[in-house]
Amino acid sequence: MGMNRWKQCLKKNRLLRRKDGMDQPRPHATVSTDLVDGRDTENIQEFVNPENTGERVEPMSKNYRILDLIRRSRSPLENHLIDGLVDGRVSRRDFIRHGSLLGLSLPLLGGISAAAGLGAMPTLARAQGAPGATIRVASSVPAAAIDPVTIADAGGLVILQQVAEFLCIDGPDLVLKPALAESWKPNDTGTVWTFTLRKGVKFHSGGEMKAEDVVASIDRLADPANSSNALSVFNGILQKGATKKVDDYTVEFHLDAPNGNFPYMVSSDNYNAVIIPASYKGDYEKSFDGTGPFKLEKYTAKVGASFVRNDDYWGDKALPERTEFTFFADTQPMILALQGGQVDIINQLPVLAGVGLLTDPAIDIISLKSVAHQQLHMRCDSDPLKDPRVRRAIALCLDRKKLVAGLMKGRAIEGNDSPFAAAYPSTDPTVPQRQQDIAQAKQLMEAAGAGKGFKVTLTTERYLEIPEYAQLIQNWVKEIGVELELNILDQGAYYGDAVFGKSNWLDSVMGITDYGHRGVPNVFLAAPLRSDGTWNAAHFKNKDYDTLATSYIAALDLEAQKADAGKIQKLLLEETPVIFGYFYDYLTATTKGLTGVQPTAMSQLFLEKAAKA
Amino acid sequence: MALSLVTLFLLSIMVFLGGQVLPGNVGRAILGPFADQRAVDALNHSLGVDRPLLTQYWSWISNFIQGDMGTSYIFRSPVAPFVIDALGNSMKLAAVAFVLVVPIGILGGVIAALNLNRPLDRIISLGGLSVTVLPEFVTGIILILIFGVWLRWLPISAAWPRDAGFFTQLYYLILPSLPLFLVLFGYIARMARSGMIEALDSDYTRTAVLKGLPWPTVIWRHVLRNALLPTITVIATQTGYLIGGLVVIETLFRYQGIGSLIFTAARGKDFPVLEAGILTIGIVYAVATLAADFLYSVLNPRIRLGTDQ
Repeated sequence: MGMNRWKQCLKKNRLLRRKDGMDQPRPHATVSTDLVDGRDTENIQEFVNPENTGERVEPMSKNYRILDLIRRSRSPLENHLIDGLVDGRVSRRDFIRHGSLLGLSLPLLGGISAAAGLGAMPTLARAQGAPGATIRVASSVPAAAIDPVTIADAGGLVILQQVAEFLCIDGPDLVLKPALAESWKPNDTGTVWTFTLRKGVKFHSGGEMKAEDVVASIDRLADPANSSNALSVFNGILQKGATKKVDDYTVEFHLDAPNGNFPYMVSSDNYNAVIIPASYKGDYEKSFDGTGPFKLEKYTAKVGASFVRNDDYWGDKALPERTEFTFFADTQPMILALQGGQVDIINQLPVLAGVGLLTDPAIDIISLKSVAHQQLHMRCDSDPLKDPRVRRAIALCLDRKKLVAGLMKGRAIEGNDSPFAAAYPSTDPTVPQRQQDIAQAKQLMEAAGAGKGFKVTLTTERYLEIPEYAQLIQNWVKEIGVELELNILDQGAYYGDAVFGKSNWLDSVMGITDYGHRGVPNVFLAAPLRSDGTWNAAHFKNKDYDTLATSYIAALDLEAQKADAGKIQKLLLEETPVIFGYFYDYLTATTKGLTGVQPTAMSQLFLEKAAKA
Repeated sequence: MALSLVTLFLLSIMVFLGGQVLPGNVGRAILGPFADQRAVDALNHSLGVDRPLLTQYWSWISNFIQGDMGTSYIFRSPVAPFVIDALGNSMKLAAVAFVLVVPIGILGGVIAALNLNRPLDRIISLGGLSVTVLPEFVTGIILILIFGVWLRWLPISAAWPRDAGFFTQLYYLILPSLPLFLVLFGYIARMARSGMIEALDSDYTRTAVLKGLPWPTVIWRHVLRNALLPTITVIATQTGYLIGGLVVIETLFRYQGIGSLIFTAARGKDFPVLEAGILTIGIVYAVATLAADFLYSVLNPRIRLGTDQ
């Protein structure tokens, strides 16, 4: 269905383009070949705000000769995306994001963008820092042994990512960049994705990385017998045995169902999906083997880790001579250590705890737009929140502008009660933002027969700003007669066994749960909201929603995704099983003068370009 | 001795059963709330925590008695090095704090008692009490800000560099022991002060003075010896706190002590580490009590048994 839609669009747009083109001037523009190449870019940091550096607002003239040349070797799907850019239906930033997903290389995307008269990719030339520094990082204590298969926490995954690499990297701008894979492409239906691997990549232990290592690494994660933390990502998408070697440098992924965003599932977004040797036996702390720009020097559980430059690295050699990670059990000591000059970087700085650093002149804050958020779920299957009007009324009580400006100190953007954050290119921006409206909320309560109000318990975890968020909600809903009783638990007690019937999270009438960043909304759309979702704390069961979510996930084409997204956004505003109040930024603090530090909103930290002034 | 062993055995059962009451399970704690249930089950099976409780306890205790503390569920490596390192660290910190606070605390109490109701007494008593009621995370942060961030005299983290010598370690331990000093100083000084006041007021002191002994001898041989008995008991009961109760200080100063070891083990349901850690503290308590009893008998001839002097 999606296929037909875009094929029709394709024809239509080609015709339109030809017609428009007749009376357009066609000046020459050269496609620069030295624009960017994924990780070889000087500094990915500038991608964060392309609008500040490269994006031109005024339309420039389009070069159809070059566009036609480029189109000839492109698939229909890719051509459709190019049409979207040329016709202005797809913004330049969305074009680059979605094009990278389809496996178009970044230099090519930049070239197309330039030819379409929208400016090249931002030239990322930036003075390279001096090599040889020792970079000292404060990060949280890994919660368990470092093992690519089981790792589940920020403290652990950042250590893993220092030595091991992914097929592709979901950068700070949500653009996929090639790493161990040079390129990738889907078949016509999005059920088979073919990845071409980089040649000449060596593991720290000596062997060359080849297709069997990729097959083994991914297969290991898709195997239910392996305690794999990535199983919840691959569930219903990629089975054990569905990753197939074609030749030494080509791997095919045969998916359970069409999936337009699959490359994200094997990118740094799925932090378990690092490529390690096929011979791995399950004792990662003995080898710390990988292909990365740094090699392990020493790891001490609960204390810290140090790494040294890998001189056999396939890409540009790392600038720092050494990196040192020091583990902290709490944020306050990290802040003191940064202020006292004992570390150079705090990998992840929560807004509330780090508020003092935000204005410290000796500290730089790297702020990434992320889609991390707190989901406020409301049980759709039991009183008093069974009636969607009541749930909408509660959502209308929240003053989201105040949440962003006050609670999150401006380091967040408003949420619109669906997982479609503004940061996602597939989000339909025409769906109106829900605002605080107490009068309407009161009307809805009356209409639902709950005009007198009621008492309900909000159960949640003591984590980040959640307790403060809960208190704000408690105050706001008082206005419509809802009396919230807060039950704030330790994280262990809140999640319990994390299965229905044995978890405060999944069984509570109302609760707030933290969700980390994801480069695509697929996970947020499935597990917490689908009828069969394993994290469906709202007990939201809606056939229309399920169909829409499946359709969105299958769509390969950005406009088809956008159409489904718009419908999902409207449906969720109507039903409001979950309140998405805000999506907060991912903050990293560094000392002034430190350059080239590249965090991701998944808590990864790329230090190979880091240098001290 | 036998009674201590029974106590420790009961303690091990209580820790084990207490751990079962806590919500969640080990596999969940390691893989997180968002992991697939099949993965959690597989992990629990490989760790052996899906076996019957009695089997689990038996396999743990039978190894423990033979000196094998087992393998950490969470860190997948032997428990013994973790516990030994953490205990060593805790004892070092406790020792530095002790060396600072015991003589100064007693001296403070003695001075206060000798200057009863004079300004010096007021300063020591009130000042000591004031800093005692301040929680150590407050004094800790203030001290770090002053000595670590502004003056930069002392390192912020108590974790010294690898291969640090005795004096370097001592240097790193000064800052974290200061909040402990502040917590304990008022307590010890007040105990010493009240003991001194009582002893100064007693008949034997009056006799000693009246029989013409020089004042320092009276204080040293008659007053202090009697005055310190309750203080010693207090100090002994603080040993357990100093070794095992410093989670806040250890977190703040990033120090790998046994308190934070037990805390993280309890949160992660890492039963072998939890058991070993708590039993270690139990043993420390028992030894400290024994030592206090011994010291008590040295200072107080009345409770010496079977000796003739």
